[in-house]
Amino acid sequence: MQREVGTLPLAPALRARLVAAGFQTAQELLETGPCGLSKEIGISKEEALEVLQLVRQECQGDATRSAGGSGATRKCTALELLEEEQTQGFIITFCSALDNILGGGVQLTKITEICGAPGVGKTQLCMQLAVDVQIPECFGGVAGEAVFIDTEGSFMVDRVVDIATACVQHCQLIAEAHQEADHLKALESFSLESILSHIYYFRCRDYTELLAQVYLLPDFLAEHSKVRLVVIDGIAFPFRHDFEDLSLRTRLLNGLAQQLIITANDHRAAVVLTNQMTTRIGQNQSTLVPALGESWGHAATVRLIFHWDESQRLATLYKSPSQKESTIPYCITPHGFRDVQPPAVTQEAEGTEMNPRKRPRREEEK
Amino acid sequence: MDWDQCDLNPKVIAALKKADIKSIKEILNLSGADLQRLMKLSSADIQCLLKTVSHMLRRNSMLTALQLYQDKDHLSSQHQKLSLGCSVLNNLLKGGIPLVGITELAGESSAGKTQIGLQLCLCVQYPYKYGGLESGAVYICTEDAFPSKRLQQLIDQQHKLRADVPAETIQKIKFGNNIFIEHAADLDTFQNCITNRISLLLTRGMVRLVVIDSIAALFRCEFGASESVLRGRYLQTFGAQLHRLSTRFRTPIMCINQKSLMPIFFNSVVDKRVSPALGITWANQLLMRLMASRVPQPEQSLGVVSHHTGSVRTLRVVFAPHLPPSFCYYTVNLEGVRGIK
Repeated sequence: MQREVGTLPLAPALRARLVAAGFQTAQELLETGPCGLSKEIGISKEEALEVLQLVRQECQGDATRSAGGSGATRKCTALELLEEEQTQGFIITFCSALDNILGGGVQLTKITEICGAPGVGKTQLCMQLAVDVQIPECFGGVAGEAVFIDTEGSFMVDRVVDIATACVQHCQLIAEAHQEADHLKALESFSLESILSHIYYFRCRDYTELLAQVYLLPDFLAEHSKVRLVVIDGIAFPFRHDFEDLSLRTRLLNGLAQQLIITANDHRAAVVLTNQMTTRIGQNQSTLVPALGESWGHAATVRLIFHWDESQRLATLYKSPSQKESTIPYCITPHGFRDVQPPAVTQEAEGTEMNPRKRPRREEEK
Repeated sequence: MDWDQCDLNPKVIAALKKADIKSIKEILNLSGADLQRLMKLSSADIQCLLKTVSHMLRRNSMLTALQLYQDKDHLSSQHQKLSLGCSVLNNLLKGGIPLVGITELAGESSAGKTQIGLQLCLCVQYPYKYGGLESGAVYICTEDAFPSKRLQQLIDQQHKLRADVPAETIQKIKFGNNIFIEHAADLDTFQNCITNRISLLLTRGMVRLVVIDSIAALFRCEFGASESVLRGRYLQTFGAQLHRLSTRFRTPIMCINQKSLMPIFFNSVVDKRVSPALGITWANQLLMRLMASRVPQPEQSLGVVSHHTGSVRTLRVVFAPHLPPSFCYYTVNLEGVRGIK
């Protein structure tokens, strides 16, 4: 409606006359009406009507084009969606086996759920992701910030310091090996303090506080537009006691899931949730299944289950729209979430040729 | 909830009063559509109301990890921990017991769990700079009588155990006066104890440690094998209550547990031996799990054993968010529990 008269697709002579008569925007033309217009610039009423019709058509075309960007009634083809998805970033986990089965890492705009028994490494992976999301683009990261919503009180900042220090060292090694200017420049702002200052920590003590925090999340992400990861550790804890009425719980969880999906999409962020395991008593045996019930299983796009096999930790990709179900081993080292190191001797002296995902074995690592 | 004091549109306040909505929790429990229907307001008004009440509940609650790391104030810092009274044991736990959360100490009988519990009750009374919390402790006994003779022995020998603390400081503390002993042999008494006695002691600031010895005894007899679901619900409720108290008062809760209740952890997901409902239900409430045992570890070198007359025990970290799975040896002497380097 604020379109300038000079840009309308009219005959040049007509345009010149409109501008000379003092009309500046399309809005003014429409307000004047056909009679007023024909008198002002000295054209017949029919011509004035034609002009106004054209102006209206143009303005409507503009309106649909600008509304289309927000996605309300936008039509697009599957090819466009594919291209868009391929450009979505991934947050790497530093465990290349896990990144591979996920198709590159934890995907932005999707909800990933990590389930597992206590002590298996869910919080460790969340802390690792909160650091990895900040890796600069030249090192293969998404250069984002992280929101960490803690409901259990298991966020120990000393551990995050260990993980962040190891990540910075890793990037320093890559920069030394490749000696590129943009790597060195990125490293100047990628330090322990900067990593810690971009993890936004919220502590929610019950489910009401959690619901309130999720309502406030869109505004927070709008203010902090670089956030690319939202972690909720854990989603089950506040919802597993306090509820006499399970249908209320299901409704609240569904509402929560919907809001998180919208937030993930609108802000191009990955949402990572951790869930507990509970026992399901079958006929002869009991199995461990993710908590919060069957309907919650639909909330997450990607579901990972962490479990033990003897003393080896394993991660199984249980649900994913694009990757197949598989299981890989991982381990937790003093430096964070990592691959299981094969007992190979080739890694030792090869600083320059190494695959940045594999870290050379050092004495301090167990 | 006095809606008039809130920063809301008057028509919204009127609608809230008319719909008889009394708390923020009620508002958040209702869906957007229900709220629209109850309050007869537009969807935009409801969105605004939700954001405003969420803001009221959560204002200024954000911290960055850097602020957490740099916080040295002993009233709020994560670095503040409860010392165990021995530097070797403290090193195993990177400082001591975390102040917020439930820590479990499991193990077979006579591994030394009660000894560690008693030692903590004394450690908590020291000043902050010696790893204490300058407050007392509550000790809840659920099966045996409280070992008062042993406690007296430990009190008498504190100067020997805590050589790092000057003698005048130790003499000034009246250890016996600050340990509150409760007996609770069944669930109802235990429930009553937590809701009334412990809350009161915590609110008055008289205690900053709760030791429950042992949690297993409470659940062993009251539930039959087929009542595991009910048992699980009780466990969850207790766990949540203890967790709330711990968070509100920044008080560590130490639960001593018998080994029979601990599931065999290193087994795969589908395992018939995982104790249904109880093992994992309780484990989900814990921040940290430690295990004390008398069995010598395979790695135990002969040199370690030969230097100590008492039997050598092992304290192992089974899981903790900030600690790797590790262990150390310790002995139980006259003056208390001491780690071996």
